[in-house]
Formats: sequence, C-alpha cells, structure tokens
Amino acid sequence: MSGAQEDTSFAALRGQLQEAAAAFADGPDALEGILLGLVDDVDRAVREPLEIFPVCHHSPASATAMARRLREKQPKVVYLELCEDMAPLLAELRNCRLPVAVQAFAGDVEGFPAQWAPLSVVAPVTEASAEYQAIAYALDTPGVELVLVDRSADHVFQWDGGAGPEAGTAGGDDAPKEEEAALHGEAVGVELGDLRPRFAELEEHLLRHGKVRHWSEWWHQYVEVPLGDSDHATYRQVMFLIGSLFRRLAPGEGSRLRVDEDRERYMWTRMREHLAASGTDPRDCLYVCGAFHAASRVEEFGVAGGSDTFTIPPRTATTWQYGLIPSSHAAIEAQFGLAPGSVSIAATEWAKGLRRSRVKPYVLEGQAGRRKSAARKAADAPAVAAGPAADRLSGFLRQPPAIDRLDEAELLGWSVEIVRAARRNGYLASTADAIAVFETSILLAGMRDRAKPTPYDFQDAAVTCIEKDSVPGRRDVRRLVEIMMGGDRVGRVGYESLPPLARDVYDRLAPLELKPEQRGVRRALLDLAARPELAACSDALWMLRRLLPQGAVRPIMGERRLGERSVQESWDLSLGTHQRALIELGYEGVSIEQVLEQRLRRDAYGPRATTADVLAAVEDATLYLRGRRLADELGGHALKVLATERTVDGAPEVLRRVRALLAYYRTSEPVLPPWIESFVKTGYAHYCTLLPTAFQDEDATVGQVAAMLGFLFGMEGLALSLGCDRAQLELAVGQSHPGDPSKTALLWAARVRLGTLSRAELRARCDALLDNPLVVPSYPRYLSGFVHALEPVPGLADVVVEAVSNAFARLPDPVLLPWLPLLITTLRSGAAEPAALLVREAGRIFPGRLAALDAWVPPWHASPVPADAARPGSGGPRPRGAALLPRHPAACDVVADLLGCAGEWSGPEASPEGAGGPSGVALLAAHPAACDAVAALLGCGGAWDTGRGADVPGALLTARHPRAGEAWEAVLARS
Amino acid sequence: MSELLRAPAEIKYAEELDWLESVDDGPRPFSWRLSPKMVRLFVLGSERSDGLDREVSQKWFGDRSFVERSIVTLASDRGLLLIGDPGTGKSWLAELLSAAISRNSTLVVQGTAGTTEDHIKYSWNVSMVIAKGQSRESMIPSPIMTAMETGSIGRFEELTRSTSDVQDALISILSEKYISVPELESGAGDDNIVFAKPGFSVIATANSRDRGVNDLSSALKRRFNFVRIPVVTNKKSEAEIVRFRTEELLRRHSIDLDVPPTLLDVLLRSFADLRASAAAAGSDDEKLESALSTAEQIGVLEDAVLHSNFFGESALTARTLAASLVGSLTRREPEDLAILNKYLHGVVEPRGKEEGGPWTEFLEGGRDAIATLS
Repeated sequence: MSGAQEDTSFAALRGQLQEAAAAFADGPDALEGILLGLVDDVDRAVREPLEIFPVCHHSPASATAMARRLREKQPKVVYLELCEDMAPLLAELRNCRLPVAVQAFAGDVEGFPAQWAPLSVVAPVTEASAEYQAIAYALDTPGVELVLVDRSADHVFQWDGGAGPEAGTAGGDDAPKEEEAALHGEAVGVELGDLRPRFAELEEHLLRHGKVRHWSEWWHQYVEVPLGDSDHATYRQVMFLIGSLFRRLAPGEGSRLRVDEDRERYMWTRMREHLAASGTDPRDCLYVCGAFHAASRVEEFGVAGGSDTFTIPPRTATTWQYGLIPSSHAAIEAQFGLAPGSVSIAATEWAKGLRRSRVKPYVLEGQAGRRKSAARKAADAPAVAAGPAADRLSGFLRQPPAIDRLDEAELLGWSVEIVRAARRNGYLASTADAIAVFETSILLAGMRDRAKPTPYDFQDAAVTCIEKDSVPGRRDVRRLVEIMMGGDRVGRVGYESLPPLARDVYDRLAPLELKPEQRGVRRALLDLAARPELAACSDALWMLRRLLPQGAVRPIMGERRLGERSVQESWDLSLGTHQRALIELGYEGVSIEQVLEQRLRRDAYGPRATTADVLAAVEDATLYLRGRRLADELGGHALKVLATERTVDGAPEVLRRVRALLAYYRTSEPVLPPWIESFVKTGYAHYCTLLPTAFQDEDATVGQVAAMLGFLFGMEGLALSLGCDRAQLELAVGQSHPGDPSKTALLWAARVRLGTLSRAELRARCDALLDNPLVVPSYPRYLSGFVHALEPVPGLADVVVEAVSNAFARLPDPVLLPWLPLLITTLRSGAAEPAALLVREAGRIFPGRLAALDAWVPPWHASPVPADAARPGSGGPRPRGAALLPRHPAACDVVADLLGCAGEWSGPEASPEGAGGPSGVALLAAHPAACDAVAALLGCGGAWDTGRGADVPGALLTARHPRAGEAWEAVLARS
Repeated sequence: MSELLRAPAEIKYAEELDWLESVDDGPRPFSWRLSPKMVRLFVLGSERSDGLDREVSQKWFGDRSFVERSIVTLASDRGLLLIGDPGTGKSWLAELLSAAISRNSTLVVQGTAGTTEDHIKYSWNVSMVIAKGQSRESMIPSPIMTAMETGSIGRFEELTRSTSDVQDALISILSEKYISVPELESGAGDDNIVFAKPGFSVIATANSRDRGVNDLSSALKRRFNFVRIPVVTNKKSEAEIVRFRTEELLRRHSIDLDVPPTLLDVLLRSFADLRASAAAAGSDDEKLESALSTAEQIGVLEDAVLHSNFFGESALTARTLAASLVGSLTRREPEDLAILNKYLHGVVEPRGKEEGGPWTEFLEGGRDAIATLS
C-alpha cells in the first residue's frame, strides 16, 4: 500500500553506476561515492514507512501525480512543507481566485533589528500545483487532517536573517517590471518544492547540454514531459533522484544548507510529535515536501529517526498577522527567479495534461474563479495497493527522451493567434508570417531534437519571424507569446477572506456601486449636495488617500482643507489593483479610522517628530477624523515638542500651520481649544527666548527668523490676552545684534513694528546705506531682509517699495544686475504672500498711466507732512470716527458688545446727548474695557496711566495707553 | 593558404568542413553542404556529448538561440538580417554561416552610399556588348546573381548604408527568386530571366547605430527575419572571444608571443570600467567616442602585440598594453584624453596600490602615452 512495500532492489543500477564510475574516473573515488550515494538516497526515501511525496514547485507533473496518488491512497493525514502558522488561512483559499499568496506580516518587530520592519512572508498558491491538490483533498475530505510542518514565519527571519531565503533572486532578465510583477511588494517568498541546482556551474552545464535557454525550459523538456504520464513509483524515484543529485552536487558549506537541514529537523520533529500525539499509523500519512528535502541526510530523518536531538527554538515576541493577498504568475516568476512566462506555461500544460490523462483534480468546494466545480467528491475508491514497484529508475534513465507527438492543429492555432495578436499591437504581420512562424517552429524544434515544438520554440520562432528592428506598441512579440500562452493570471482575494478593515471599506464604498474589488481604474462621482448620504463615502475616500500608496485612490476634483468641503467630488479608484495594500492596512487595525489614528500618533510621537510634524498630524486629525479628541491630544503633544526644540528650522512651517488651525478654530468652534491657546502662549515665550540667538546664528536663515517674528507679531494679540508680557519681546529684540545685513534689515523692521524706531529713521538709514559707497554692494541683502520682513510687518510695504525703487534708481549696475535673479527667486520661492503685498503697494504708489509718469513725484520725495498735522485734536480735521458715536449710540453699544465690553453709558458727558463734547472720548469714558480691547488689538500692552491727561479731550486713549497713539498713527498713515 | 592575408572561412576551415560533411548524416535542406545541426556545430563548436571523433572549435561566441534562429531562417523562405551594434560579430557570423552552408562566403555586396542597383543585379561588359551585342556572355552578374545561379548564400553587408531605392531591388529577388534581364530577348530558352536555384538565400547585416539613415521599407522588412545580436557584456564570453581572435591573429602573423592571462584580465576589466563610466556619463563629452566593443578590445590587443613583437622585447607588457589602449581610444582631443586621464588616476592608481601586479605598470604606461599625446 505504501512505499514500504515497494520492492526496491537497486542492485542492478548500483552495479551499472559502479562500472560507469570506474570507466569515467579510473577507479573508486568521489564520483563513485556520489553516484552510489544517489541510489542510497533514493533507496532510503523509498523505504521510509511514512510515505514521502517529493514535489517541485509549479510542476504540472507533480500536481498530476499528486492528484492521482491522493485518489489512490486516500491518506488520513497530509503533512505539508509550509509555514505551520499559516494553517488557519488555507480554508479561506476557496473564497479567492487563484493565484493568491498566504501572507504573514509583522508591522512592529520585537526581537529583530528594528530596520527590518515591516516583516512579510508570502507563500503563493497556484491551482496547477501539488500543494493545492493536497490542500483541496485534505480540506474537503471528511476525516482527513492537514498538518503544516515547516518552520513558522518567525523562524524564517530568525534563521535567514533580514535578506530572507529567496530575496534578491529576481530573474536575471532585463525586461521592465510590470505592475503585476510587483504584487508581492518587498515580501520574502517561501515556496514548497524549491528544486534547482545549487551552484551555477551545474545549471549552466545542464542548460548547455540540454540545448535550452533557461531552467524552466530544461525542467519542462527533461523532467516534465517524460514524467507526465508515468506511474507513481517511477515519479517518486525520479524525483528522489533529482533531489539527491542537486543535494549532493551542491556547495558543501554555507548557511543555506544549514538552514535547509534545520528545516528538515524541524519538520521531522513536528511530524513525530503529531504521530505520537494522534496515534496515527505512519502508513496512513503522506508527507509532501520538495524533492530536495526528500534526500535529506539529517539524523532526525524518518519516523524512526533520532528524536530529542533537535529543540525547536522559541519564536520571538513579534506579533504576526496573517492574511491572503492577491498574487500573479508574473509576481511568482519575479519572486523566485523563474523565466518570464514559465508559470503561465505550466498552468496551460496542467490544463492540457488533465484533458489528456483524464486525471480528476481536487478543487476546493466552491472555489472562486472557476466556472463550475470540476471536482466531484472523489469516489471512495478503495485504496489500491501499489503493485510491486521494482527499480523503475534504471528503465527511466535508459529510455530515450520522451518525444511528444507533433500536434499540428495546436501549432497552427498558435501561429494564427500570434499573428493576430501582433497585428493588434501594431506589427505589420500577415498570414505569410503565420506560415513562416509555423514552419520556423518546426525547423527550430528539429534542430533542438524535439519532434514537437515546445512553447519556448514557438516563442523563438515568433520572435524571429515577426519582430523587426523596433517594437511598435507597448509589448514585444516575446511578451505577446507569453500572454497568448495563458497570459498572466492575477488572483483576487474574495470578500469573505478579507480582513475586517478591507471588508469595512468595501461596505462603506458600496453606495458608489463601483465593484471596488475589480482591477482597473474606476471613476466615482460624488454629488454631495444632491446625495448627502455619500458624505460617508467621501470621508472614507479621503482617509484611504492618506493611508494607501499613491495611485490607489486619486481625487480628480474636489479637495479637503481646513474649513473647506467640496460640494462635488470625483475620484479615480483602483482598489482592486492595490488590494494587497488594502489587506496589509487590515493588519494594522480593524477600521481605517483606527489605523489612521495609529499612524498619526506614530508620526507625532516619533523620536524625530518636529513641532511642524505634530501640527501636521493635528491638521490631518482635524480633517479626517470627526471629533476633537485626537486633535486635542496631539496638540497637547505639540506643545511639549515645541518646548524641547532648540532650533528654529521649522518656524515657517509652524507659523503656517498654527495660523491655519487658529483661523479654522475661530470660525468653526465657539471657543478656542485650550491647547492652541497654550501653544500660542508657549510659542510666544519660546520664540522670544530663541530670537536673539536666531538673529546671530549663521545657520538660521532670514526666512526662518522672519517666520519667528511673524509668529510673535501675528499671535501677539492672543498671547497678550492670555497673559504674556510684551516686555519680553521688546527685551528680546533689544538683545538681538545680527551680523548679517538681511537679518539687520529684519531687525529694523521689527523695531519699527515695536515702535522703537520710526519710519523716518528707517528711511534715513536706508538712504545712508545707499550714500555710503562701502556699503552699497551689500544693499541688496538688506533688501532681501525687507522683503522677508513683509511677513511679520506687512504695514511696512510702502517703505519696502520705496527701498526697492531706490535700489533700481541708485544702485550701480554691477551691483544691481547680479542681484535681480536673486530677488526674483526669493520672491518666487519663499515669499509668495509678501510678493503680492509688494505688488499691490507698488500699484498704489506708482502712477497707473504712462502719461502721468512725467508729472509724478514719488511720495518719499514730496515734502513730508508735519507729523503733528495728522494727530487728532491738534488743530487738524476732526477724526472721522468721532461723528459715529453721538449720532448712532446703538452702533457704539454693538461695537462694545462685539469687543466683549459689557457696561452702561455712564456720566452726562458721555451720553448721546452730550455728543458735542470731546470727539471719541465718549466710547472710552463709557466703556473703559473697550479701550483696553482696542489697545490690545493694536498691540499696545501697558497699564492704565491714570495720573495725567484724563481731562484733555481725545487724549484719554493716549493717556491711558501711551503706545496706542503711535499705533494709531501708523494705522492712519497707511489709510 | 599562406599566401592569403586573410583567408575566408571556407578556406580557413576547409579541412574541418570536409570532415564534418563526411560524418554528417542529418537531412540537408536544398543544396546545403551540411545539415542545420552540423552548421550549428561548426559555428558554436562541439561538445563531448556530441560524440564526435574530433573536436570542433567554437568560432562565434554568443547565445546559442541566435545561431539556431539564423540557420532556421536560411532554411526557410526568407532572408536573414543580422542587426546589432558595431563590433558584435554580425559579419563574422554571416561569413561562417555561408561558408558552412554553401562553402562560399565571398559572394558579398558591400552597401555604401554609392551602391547602385547594378551591384545587386547585373551590369554589362561594355566592350563585349559593342563587339557581340547584349547577351548572357557580355553580362557581368553581381555576387547576388551568382549566388542565385549557384544556389548558394549571397551576402549584403551594411544594408542600411545603401539608399532605399537600391535596397528595394532586393524585394523581387527575395520574393520571386528571379531577376529578369529586359535587355535580352525573351523566348530563347528563358535567357532573359535568371532563376534562383534551391539553396539560395541572402544574409544581410545592418548596423543598429545607423537606424534612421536609410530605413528599410516595410515591404523589404517583411522579406527578412531580423536577428538582433547584442553587445557581449558577459565577461567570460568576452574573454573567450578576445583570446580566440588574438590567437588567430598571432597565427596569421606567425608571431610567437604569449598573452599572459593577467594582462588579458587587465584589458577586459579596463574596458568594463570604461563602459560603466560611459553608461553613467551625462553628455557625449563625458564619454569616449569609441563604442568600446569587443572588436575594439581585440584591436587594442592586436596593436600591443604587434608593437611588442616588432619594437619591444618580444613579450607583451602592461606598459605596451596601456600605450596601445590610450592610442586606440583617443580620437578627440582633449575630451578623450581627459577621460582616460581621469580613469587612470581615479581607478587604476588606487587599484594598483591595492592589488599591485600589472596595474602599476599599466598606470605608468598610460601616463607616458598621455604625456606623449598631449
């Protein structure tokens, strides 16, 4: 019934090999050892009571032999060489369209170097494989147990290191990688039945003497075809022999062999454990493994092998997630270094072989992607005892190469088909080419000693006859033949087998009625005004865009920014193509919100996260996640990060983000979140502290210092209202002594803003620079500083326009011309907003028409208006606002309310009736708090100075807040 | 044989071809002298597993499938067009194939800008025409026409160098397989038509760098099977090629000189380095003008060997090799010299310090050569 009964007397073969060794090597030596060792290995494997079934990956012959053997033997336990921790997923295969890959994934590693993360192991499963036959049989036959015995995914990385067993074996071809070939991503591939010469010389020798181009072709011609219809005993013995040959003719040392032997110890230990625990008779079991492992010489080999000699090392603490991801023939070929098209050709051969041999394959009940279930339950055929299978090896080795009969109709079909495909792809191919391809295929096969052209011969012939000097379309003839021979088949993981997150995404996108699981790009149109229920889809899509790789979800129309939502959106979705990315997202959490939250937290709490990064995370949290919980938490963290930052590199980004967030909260929330208030407060103190250093630090750019000042001046009102002290800023500016001209200009602008330098003085300084021939060359750098200063001090625009105009007027060409490109690049790259301000201001100052230019006198050349003339209450015209108060007392109340100043009209002089009194004083007297608020808005901190001037009309404000006067002056001068 | 500077393949390997013909029992298409398998064996050399009594040397180095596809094409109805970069061995393969198939590789038309239709079809012996009138006797057949008449392989070198109208003269030859001679009267035993005998085919070569100069018409393309011969980048095969050609050369010049394997390695590695730097170069000024093909390598070695033999101490040294390399690869001044200078000091100098051996001497020789040239 099992291999143990096979009468395997290899004495005759041994004798022949001995003679051969003697003939070739002049006596007993290593050659004899190898040759006889081969027979020993076969003998040993055949005699093992636990039937070993040697397989090779992507071999239709293996799959056919497996199906046949399973029907015949009906084993009760099937041991399979696959990662043992992947077992629970195998039942899910029926929901998927093959090929798919079983994946073990670990995002966070523990016990491995952190730079290895994320760890991913994939084991692709195709329909034309022996392992699929074993899985389908075991899962769908009652009472049969499937046991995976190979090391776990964790051990794969423990034993093979970061490179993984098959990493870097991508095929040596230089064909461009197509999208399908990258389906496995960076994963490490594990595969059942890796069977290939271990050193290059042997493979080269085999290819050369086999007169074939690559390994897949060799295998097809010398193993696949001869073994196609052979009986079980022959199949087994031949596969054992090949496994043994590659094993013995391999580099003796090396970590790879050690890993292989450890795996064999592992598998046999597991099998013995299982046999002992379940009490199964080894003769009722089948052990499916690569032929390479069947020739193992480890001590633990066999049911009776040494036990207790191998201790399975414990797994690391890494938590592994498991799932199925779509795979494709191209991806498998790329991962395992197979020739392009070989897996597709194997699939075609398998289908053809089934028709010819009438073997009924096993298919999982309800297997997705098949037209009808070809697998009726295997009839409970009584286990047929294998007849005495003597030495089949001698006969097999002696027989001439099996010659497949020429299938003329098939070849003719191929020839016609390829010409049609070529024409569709832009080739000038005609019927004459079909004839030529047909003829050439036969001639080529004849030259290569084959009666029947293989698909590879046909490919060569097609290339010879159709390919000319250039490829007209996207695909060349070689690729067209591959497609024709079955083409690439891309698997799909069924809905039921998806992780909860992916299912949730599909459910949420269901209202779009798009079938997101299908491959290709689909356009989704969301009219949110007409169908408000699609808002949930829109939310999900925006989150997916943030989480998935580029291209998976692409907005064509519509955007989502703080405070903005589109009414209509249109999207290009290719979720089917990016199914792997979606499934891997599912390893991180159960919903996209959870994953997004985790990722935002990871970004924000990362050791290298800067304040700007954390604020970006806050912005994303606000944009994509409803509710302020996470945003508030991350905001609180931003505060901490800011306090520990010692550089000002991120200042421009921080300023931009805080401004946007503040604007958003002000318009959408009743009160500002506490964290942002604290952030402004802390930021004010923080940047005040860093300001003097930044001014002096050569590494801090003028843009960064300008952004700091922008923060300080822009947020000043809020900061002061929260208890910050302006004196701190004044001191900080006072302590700043920059050496760089551009920063000096920035400092001057800041001082103007603070009121410690008047505009007239600033103008005078600029003039002095231009007058001094020693400083003139550095004048452009001052100008750069002024341009940057427009960000924190926009009120200075007129002075900057004046300075720039003076530069054009007075700078000598050798200084001016080299600087112009710099000015343009500065304005274009870092200062888009100030540039607009500058242009507007220039438009206001310069004459609008050419005719007016002659009579035009620049304002700075006009005789200056005495400063006193502009001051209210000093003989000039009455301030315009003063009339409002007495005429419309209600307006005054509303303004007071808006400013948050509750209070009553008090005093007869302040009542509406007393409007003839001092202008503007009414408001102040009536609502003292309003005065404070206005002063705060103007940026004039300070206490009430009650001692003087209270009786002077109009002087109340200036008396109370000495700086308010200057601020008003600045405002009025601009208006 | 010794009186020929360069014997064509069928003369050079006459004895081997005779022997192959005597042992060949495979089916031969048309009037071929060897069966396709034997042709392949002649070109690619024999293996032990072929079970022959004597060894057949490998004469062309490259992918086996190129040779197979070429042979099969010649056995079919179409012409063969070998296309590839200069120096990839297209003409050599064409010569070997025609020598093996029809024992005549000299029926060659060289494509140039001045090639006319007469060179492909026929022309007239003017004095004979004046004396006897137009007849088959006074006609001068072209090599292609001769190949048709004898049922052998005609060759057309550098097909894309000749103009399109001349190229198109091949269309009727390749499809109808005859040339009509309208000047002769019809009726007299089909004298005005020259029919091709079985076994006739055409091997053309084209330089892929010439693409766009005189593109083939679609009609002509259809009548050719294209076999693209890539540049050899495999170091092992390249070493084989260089060794094979150099030995042949030494034999031809009757020079008794050894090429030490270390020097061969120096040559191969320096070409590989220069190719890598050319591939990485951003503009034409940063790479050598030479295509750095295998043929170029052979040229460098040939130069060095001849120089050592006639002017040196009858032994090849790294110094001579370097001088020959610099001399052969310098075509533009100062660009090429600057690149070689950079290579010598950036790559060879550190390598000399690290590995020693011939590299130090190679560096010195290169330096001297550059100093002489600049």
